[in-house]
Amino acid sequence: MEYKAPLETYSGKVAEVVIGKGEKAMKIGGESVLPLHLFEGTIQNRPRLALEVFDIEPQGWSEWELKPYKDVVSDPVAWAKKCLELGADLVCLRLVSADPAGKNAPADKAASVVKQVASTIKSPLIVYGSGDGTKDIEVLAKVAEACAGENLLLGPLAKENYEPISKAALDHGHCIIAQSPLDINLEKELNVKLLKSFPRERIVIDPLSSALGYGMEYSFTITERTKHIGVMFGDNTMQMPIIADLGSECARTKQAKENEKQGLLWESITALSLLLAGANILVLRLPESLKLMKEVIEGKI
Amino acid sequence: MVLIGESIHIISKDVNDAVKERNPKVIQDLAKAQTDAKADYIDLNLGPAKRDPEEVTQWLVNTIQGVTDLPISVDTLNPVAMEAGLKVCKKRPLLNSASGRTDSKELMLPLAKKYNTNVVISVLTDKGCPPDIDSRIESIMETIALANELGIPNEDIWVDPIILPVSADQKQVADAVEFIGMLGDLMPGVKSTVGLSNVSNGTPEQLRGILNRTYMIMLGRRGLYSAIADVLDEELVKLNKGELPKIVDLIYKTMDGEAIKMASLPQKEQDYVKTTRVLMGETLYSHAWLES
Repeated sequence: MEYKAPLETYSGKVAEVVIGKGEKAMKIGGESVLPLHLFEGTIQNRPRLALEVFDIEPQGWSEWELKPYKDVVSDPVAWAKKCLELGADLVCLRLVSADPAGKNAPADKAASVVKQVASTIKSPLIVYGSGDGTKDIEVLAKVAEACAGENLLLGPLAKENYEPISKAALDHGHCIIAQSPLDINLEKELNVKLLKSFPRERIVIDPLSSALGYGMEYSFTITERTKHIGVMFGDNTMQMPIIADLGSECARTKQAKENEKQGLLWESITALSLLLAGANILVLRLPESLKLMKEVIEGKI
Repeated sequence: MVLIGESIHIISKDVNDAVKERNPKVIQDLAKAQTDAKADYIDLNLGPAKRDPEEVTQWLVNTIQGVTDLPISVDTLNPVAMEAGLKVCKKRPLLNSASGRTDSKELMLPLAKKYNTNVVISVLTDKGCPPDIDSRIESIMETIALANELGIPNEDIWVDPIILPVSADQKQVADAVEFIGMLGDLMPGVKSTVGLSNVSNGTPEQLRGILNRTYMIMLGRRGLYSAIADVLDEELVKLNKGELPKIVDLIYKTMDGEAIKMASLPQKEQDYVKTTRVLMGETLYSHAWLES
């Protein structure tokens, strides 16, 4: 008798989130099997790879980090285009300029940069705000308004500021990133609150991604459990795609700061781990690790 | 289920101040309120009782006994305070608690024999709280064997599986229900108790009650003998007395995995179903578990 490997079927399905508009539209998630379990079913939308862009010239980057972008770092539009040339599926724009602890640029200004980038590049756009929860209410609302209809993926939204930002995103037709501090119970709480006024098909979860050696196992476990709970146990408050925003986190480590080889290893190993755990979007900084992840996803290594 | 009123707790600022000032009113009001609420025991939680343990404990026991005839659960980890308290108890007290920790086996457990008390024995060991059901059973069987050797019969032993907050460890919360269900077969005659409100520690204050009440019914179904609980929660006492059979029935059905038509239930009953599912570990806990 022929041996047939036992296969699981699952009751749940990750929501398929569409970001970007028209020809640029890109589908994220939508799988009804565990991450990379290609033997159990189809994964219609492979994980997507983003490279990050700062809205102002970055400070404190190593020379080797800057190298691939050295001609474009003072021009976010050119930088974003460069990312796509380097093979990224999409671009993640960080509004560093708006950070009150830094340059504290006005929200309007940040929003106009986003608008320029969004209207120029040929991929969907992820936008991360300043990281300051209070300032981001204003910044992301302005961005949402300025880019109405672009269907950006906007974030982060946290427990403290999700109401006004999700309303702005809803009013102007964008998707959102729900961020919780490495805690699956708080992750679920935020999802439950958001779902009261926001469609599941437009939410992406950011569980926070820590770098290898700096708590990556927490990010791994929470990502993995989110998939288990959503896909295996069918909890529909946990069935959103996951974004692993790890490039900056890896770049901040002592090891990455020491030299290029370690920097590349740190980002690649963190990225690979979170990919295996179930991330649907990886946000990277280094074109070299982007290339590696692409080969992994395409089954070439 | 035997209810042990938990309100006289040294962590409470009012109680702590009252002890410092030797002001009996706060303590006696709490003792009276819990007596009126039909508690079976009054828990006297002294914590580590570091300062004047003997004098403080005896003053508290006597203060409580001044207004109630209920027996006292003397709740401290300090054997000196414990012995002082047990000495002056008029009714047969509950020693709360001994455990599998070496110091407890040496200093606490013998007091249960010496003063002929009922005794709570928890599954704690020198290594802390055992991580799974098997290791809890191993720990408790060892400590009970020792208690039996000391001459304490199973009937006087109230096993405490140690309840952890559902917001911290959902699996252990579900495991404790299973553990209670196994006790009777493993150790015939032993009784059981839990620190019920621990299950809702860390949960927003206004949502704690329904977790406590639901968990009480779930544990009770598996044979839990007693609980240290908030007897000032009227609904909890009513549930315990069997005055809300519909809710009990609904919790049982949920435990059995029966299909429940949520839409046809009133809000309150839906909340009990959702809470049961969380406590069973069937749905992931979040502070918003009643909202989805």
